[in-house]
Parts: sequence; structure tokens; C-alpha cells
Amino acid sequence: MSTDQKTLDYDMKVTREVSRQAEVFYDEAVKLGDHAARAFGGSKEHRSQMTGLETIANSTFKTTDVFDYVKKQTARHREWQQTDAQSGAPNESFGERLLKQLQGEFTGKADGIAKRLGVGNTTDEDKQERRHIHLLLMRVFIRQMVVQYEYAASFGNTRRRG
Amino acid sequence: MLTTAQERKISLLSDTILYDEAVTLMRRISPLPTSQIMGLLNNTRVSSYGQLYAYIIHQRDRNWQDSKQGTKVFYTELEKVLSQMRKKRAIEEFRLLTPGLNSQQANLEADEVMAALSREFIQHLVAENNLRAELQRAQAPAQRNRR
Repeated sequence: MSTDQKTLDYDMKVTREVSRQAEVFYDEAVKLGDHAARAFGGSKEHRSQMTGLETIANSTFKTTDVFDYVKKQTARHREWQQTDAQSGAPNESFGERLLKQLQGEFTGKADGIAKRLGVGNTTDEDKQERRHIHLLLMRVFIRQMVVQYEYAASFGNTRRRG
Repeated sequence: MLTTAQERKISLLSDTILYDEAVTLMRRISPLPTSQIMGLLNNTRVSSYGQLYAYIIHQRDRNWQDSKQGTKVFYTELEKVLSQMRKKRAIEEFRLLTPGLNSQQANLEADEVMAALSREFIQHLVAENNLRAELQRAQAPAQRNRR
């Protein structure tokens, strides 16, 4: 098998693993999207904060750029500090919930995928691959969350999907 | 100028080591008001490592009022982290410097590497600081109301 074919096979496996996880965390992304809709509303300025998050996640190669962005926004904007009585964690702000998900949850999920795909944890190449997987998971989650936010905010409908 | 391999390595270190260390440092000390820390962040964007380091030393050694001793502690801790990184970690742990350079070339390269490393570290530090400062500020009225 050629190197190109091996790379293609590997990339397909990563895509499949990330898609599988995306099914698992979809409900959590919807909950956070709803939380965002209740906290932000649908004004143009607030929408741009959510799309700004998506842009950062899609353009950076560093997971920590996304974490720092979430922290910065949470420190700066009242909406990111809003708690949500309807969420499972009524004392946690939107920013804190999002950060917990992106940092905590996805580190474990990325490690699980890496292990299943035979990616080690010692060389720089291994570590680069692990963080690449982590970044892919975050991008999918943020996309799902922003779609739900747009949907809920556009219709003024922040009820959970049926 | 840093090589692509050095830039890639610094980016990896930022995610795997520097971020956690910045968060850990901020958990040990009190956050500074956002306004006091933005000067530091701006310095990482426009200064050489030498200028940045001089700024940190200057802030550390200023005669701070008692109410602002937290700022002195912050810059004291930051200086320790960066000088340790410059003297030892960049070479032995991170392996970022090119072997076989003469001392002038090695110093120049070390300064460039440190400028990039400190930019990453301070970006994480400032993000964590500002989040903690804001959460603390938000909690303060609630605590006052409970008294």
C-alpha cells in the first residue's frame, strides 16, 4: 500500500471516529446552544460573538487559542457570564460550561480516539496528532452548538428539541 | 528567524505544557485587575525578548503600595518562570536551540525563541488572570449580600 493510501486510510479512520463522537456529544452541544440563545438573544452583535468563536476554532492549530478566547470573552462580556436555570448546572455560566466541555471532556475523548488508532503519547508527532484530534472534536462541537444557537435565537425558541 | 520546525514545536509546547503551567501559576496567586495586565500583553506583541524582560524586571522592582503588593508578587513569579526557561528549559527540556552555534548566534536565537515562548505563556496567563479577576469581582457582591 502506498504512503498516500495509508495516509488516506488513516484520515478516514480519524473522520469516522470524530463523527461517531459527534453523535455522542450532540445533545450536550444542543444544550449549550440553547443556553447561549437564552443568554445572548439574537442581536447582530451577539451573533458575531458566536461566529467569532467558530472562526477561531476553524482557523487555529492550537487548542489553547480556543480556551483563551473563551476565557477572554467570559471575562469581558456579561452574556458569557450568564447562568441558565434551565441547564443541568444552574450555577455555571455559559463560558464556564463551554470551557469545561472543550478542555475536560474532549481531552479524554481525544486520548481515547488516539489510543484506538494506535497513536502513542511520547514523540512530538504523537502529541501533534493527539491535539489535532482534540481540535477536530472541538470544531465539530462548536459548529453543532452555534447551529443550535442560531436556530433557537432566530425563532426566539429556546425550548429543547423534541 | 525561527525555523518552521521551531515554530511547530513552540506551538505544541504552548498547548501541552505552557498552558497548564500558566493556569497553575495563576491559581497560586491573586489575579490582577485587567487594566494592570494589559500593558504586559501589549509588550509581548511589540517588544524584543530583552525589552519584555526589562519591562518585567522594572514592574517587579517598582515600589508598589501595600494595596498593590499582588502586582509585585505576579511579576516576581513571572520573572522566575521566564529566567528558568531561558537558562535551562529552552535548551535541555524543550530542545529548541540549534546545536553548534557560536555564543553570539546562540544568544540571538535564544532571545527569539524566548520571545515566542513568553508570548505564548503570557497570552495564557492573561486569559486566566482576566477570567479569575472577573469571576472574583462577580462573586464579591453575592458574598457581601450574604453577610
